Amino acid sequence: MKQVPEEYYQIMEQLQAMDFVLVELTLYLDTHPDDLEAINQFNHYVKERKHIKKMFESQFGPLQQFGNSYSGYPWNWKDAPWPWQV
Amino acid sequence: MNTHFKTYHPYASPFDPCTPILEKTYSTPPHLYMGFQPPNLPQFTPLEALRAGTLWKDFYDPWYNSLEKAKGGLPT
Repeated sequence: MKQVPEEYYQIMEQLQAMDFVLVELTLYLDTHPDDLEAINQFNHYVKERKHIKKMFESQFGPLQQFGNSYSGYPWNWKDAPWPWQV
Repeated sequence: MNTHFKTYHPYASPFDPCTPILEKTYSTPPHLYMGFQPPNLPQFTPLEALRAGTLWKDFYDPWYNSLEKAKGGLPT
């Protein structure tokens, strides 16, 4: 079975970094609802994350299911590699 | 470097089977000294934050055991 290209890991790491920042900012904003600076940063990273997700999925297929990701043809969300196999 | 190390001195009995450890150090997390988090603290870049485990530099709290410290374990 062919290996995933090196780029897979780079984009995935970017995605994980974006997710982590979003988690941190969400928790921060829960206790600081009127911090405009953080809200702008949060929205910036939401946009950034959408872009990275689109880039990843265009190359390596859907990340999530039930409408969270577009599907390729044929129906390919079940194809390897799965997250624990990567 | 994290300066929130504190020490305590366990009791050493004359009948201890092994040589007693006279001083033990432990690390206290930085958020104890901060209270309510002020806005606009300096931040890591996303990739650094992923490694460091926190987005804000002030909350970065690495723990290095004595072996790692001997090898010069510096925070990334």
